[in-house]
Amino acid sequence: MSSSEERRWAALRAEVDALAAAPAGLDTALAGLPQWDSLAVLLVITHAEQAYGRTLTGAQVRACRTARDLVALLS
Amino acid sequence: MQTSLPAVRLAGLAVTTGPLVRDFLADGLAAGQEPGALERTARTVGLRRRLVAAPGQTALDLCADAATRLLAACPEAAAQVDAVIFVTQTPDHAQPNNASLLHGRLGFARTVAAYDVALGCSGWVYGLQQAALLCAHGGARSVLLCAGDTLSRSTNPRDRATDPLFGDAGSATLVVRDPAAGPWHFVLGADGARARVIEVPAGGARSPRGREPWVERADADGNVRHPGDLHMDGAEVFNFTLREVPAAVADVMALAGWTEPVVDALVLHQANRFVLSSLGRKCGFPAAKTPMDLVERFGNQSSASIPCALVEALGPELGRRPLRLVACGFGVGLSWGAVALTAGPLTLLPTAPLLPSP
Repeated sequence: MSSSEERRWAALRAEVDALAAAPAGLDTALAGLPQWDSLAVLLVITHAEQAYGRTLTGAQVRACRTARDLVALLS
Repeated sequence: MQTSLPAVRLAGLAVTTGPLVRDFLADGLAAGQEPGALERTARTVGLRRRLVAAPGQTALDLCADAATRLLAACPEAAAQVDAVIFVTQTPDHAQPNNASLLHGRLGFARTVAAYDVALGCSGWVYGLQQAALLCAHGGARSVLLCAGDTLSRSTNPRDRATDPLFGDAGSATLVVRDPAAGPWHFVLGADGARARVIEVPAGGARSPRGREPWVERADADGNVRHPGDLHMDGAEVFNFTLREVPAAVADVMALAGWTEPVVDALVLHQANRFVLSSLGRKCGFPAAKTPMDLVERFGNQSSASIPCALVEALGPELGRRPLRLVACGFGVGLSWGAVALTAGPLTLLPTAPLLPSP
């Protein structure tokens, strides 16, 4: 994991409660997380907009299978 | 579109809510949902308590009560009403229109015009623009604007993403022609290409009720609805609001020649706390100038939420002195409307529930 990826993942975990409770690795499967739901998708979208000025669609976030995919969306 | 309308004044506001209290946590627990998940949603989205209509009560009833109280409190403006505008997505009937039914119920003269505006959460600002237009350039001395919905009945109880959001309310607003007042500035817009992000797919002329059975289906999160139920794509609605509302607010403030320090309050449609806090920040307004706790007391009241926020959050001051206000509604259509106006002192009636008929 690059330092840039680490920073993005840590920031995401700090903002999205469903991810905060997840294992730390980027290979974490999102579908298995108990709180990975429509509210978590909204929190990811909000974080992307506030931290990076990026507009993500719900479909983009829902298409992510792992934490690595999420971090790549923010890169 | 952008427009500035002269010689208009806000004379009064009243809001009537449904009388029944729904508690988000209690409802969720009764439905077997996990307490931790409920508390998480309540905390993040700001869902606590909402007031909904009693069986048999409609948006027309709620607005009629608000209008009756307001007209009695403003006899001079009441005697000069030349038009009735009714904003709703939940009319009593497909035909006739709610404005005409209200016109009849309140006993207005046949010279008083009456028409509906079919909008939801953006609707109060659209209706206000129509009322101001009639006063500024349409020959009306006074216009009664009623805006309200009973959206709590439009959702499926098993749709956990949409059902807990809505409260029911009706508002009445009196707009009067006043050469010494105004102008009011408006920015109105729509994104019809994305209209189906908020929809009730069936029940209209395109897909009438009864043509085929309405089958309930569950989405990926387990939320259940049928084609006659209200559905919102939460992520896309959120993106729409973040994209359009700050721009509309900036545009209407530029039209008025105002900057944030000279504005007393930014009153946004009370969708939910999550949306409001994000929007307030992006619009560049401090939290103290942006009322956002109404939704936790009343629920999302659709087109009645801005007048309710004006009464509940700004009431004492608005009743006493002029305030520079920016308001923005946004929702079904997709549509949005922003207004910059100086209002007050004006007649503000206490928000009251409509008690069920015995």
